[in-house]
Amino acid sequence: MPIDNRLTGAARLAVRIATLGNGLFLAAVAVALLLSLVFPAAFAGIVARALPGNDIAAAAMGMRLLMGLGIVMAIVTARLLSVLAAVVASVADPFIAANAVRLQQIGWCLLALQLCEIPAWLIARNFPAMGSAAPSGDVSIAGWMAVLMVFVLARVFAVGAAMRDDLAGTI
Amino acid sequence: MPIVVHLDAMLARRGMSLTELSERVDITLANLSILKTGKARAIRFSTLEAICTALDCQPGDLLQNKDDA
Repeated sequence: MPIDNRLTGAARLAVRIATLGNGLFLAAVAVALLLSLVFPAAFAGIVARALPGNDIAAAAMGMRLLMGLGIVMAIVTARLLSVLAAVVASVADPFIAANAVRLQQIGWCLLALQLCEIPAWLIARNFPAMGSAAPSGDVSIAGWMAVLMVFVLARVFAVGAAMRDDLAGTI
Repeated sequence: MPIVVHLDAMLARRGMSLTELSERVDITLANLSILKTGKARAIRFSTLEAICTALDCQPGDLLQNKDDA
C-alpha cells in the first residue's frame, strides 16, 4: 500500500476515533449536567467529598458552568471534526473550492474554541471555591497561531482552486 | 464570452476533420472539442501556433471578438 494511502487511512481513522471520543464526552457531560440539576443534593455531596472545606454551593455552580462550557466546546469540536472528515475524504483531489470553504469553517471552529478561553478564565476567576478543578485560564499562543494559519491556508486553497480551474479550462 | 472560435468553419474550409487535426497538433479530441464549442477559458500560444500551422491560417481566422461582428 502506498505511503499516501496509509497516511490518509490513518488520518481517517484518527478523525473517526476523535469524533467518537468527542461524542462520548459530549454525552457524558450533558448527562452529568442534567443529573446535577435534577439531583442537586447528591451533586453537592459529590462536590463536598471532592473539594473538602470549600464553599460547596459556589463550587457546584462553577462546576455546572464548566460543564455547560464543555458542552459548547464539544458541539463546536463535533462540527470541526465533521468538516475535517470531509477534507480528509477529498485528499484524492484536494485543490477544490469546497475545501477552501471547509478550511475556513475549521478556522471559525478553532476561533470559537480559542474564545472559550474567556469564559473558562471568568469561571476560574469568579469561582475560586473550585480549587484544583477550575480551568487554568491560560492564553494558548499556539492555539491562536493555529487559528491564523488555518485562515491563511483557507485563502491559499481558494486561490489555488481558482488557478486550477483556470488551468483546467486552458487548451 | 465575447471571443468566438471559428475552428469548425476553418476545418470545413480545409476539408479536415477534428480527429485529423487532433492527430496533427497532438491535442486530445476532447480538448479540441472544448475549444471548438467555445467552452475553453484560455488558449496557449503554443496550441494556437500548432493549429494555425496545421490549418495554414492566421490566429485572426480562428478567433474573433464578438463585438467586431
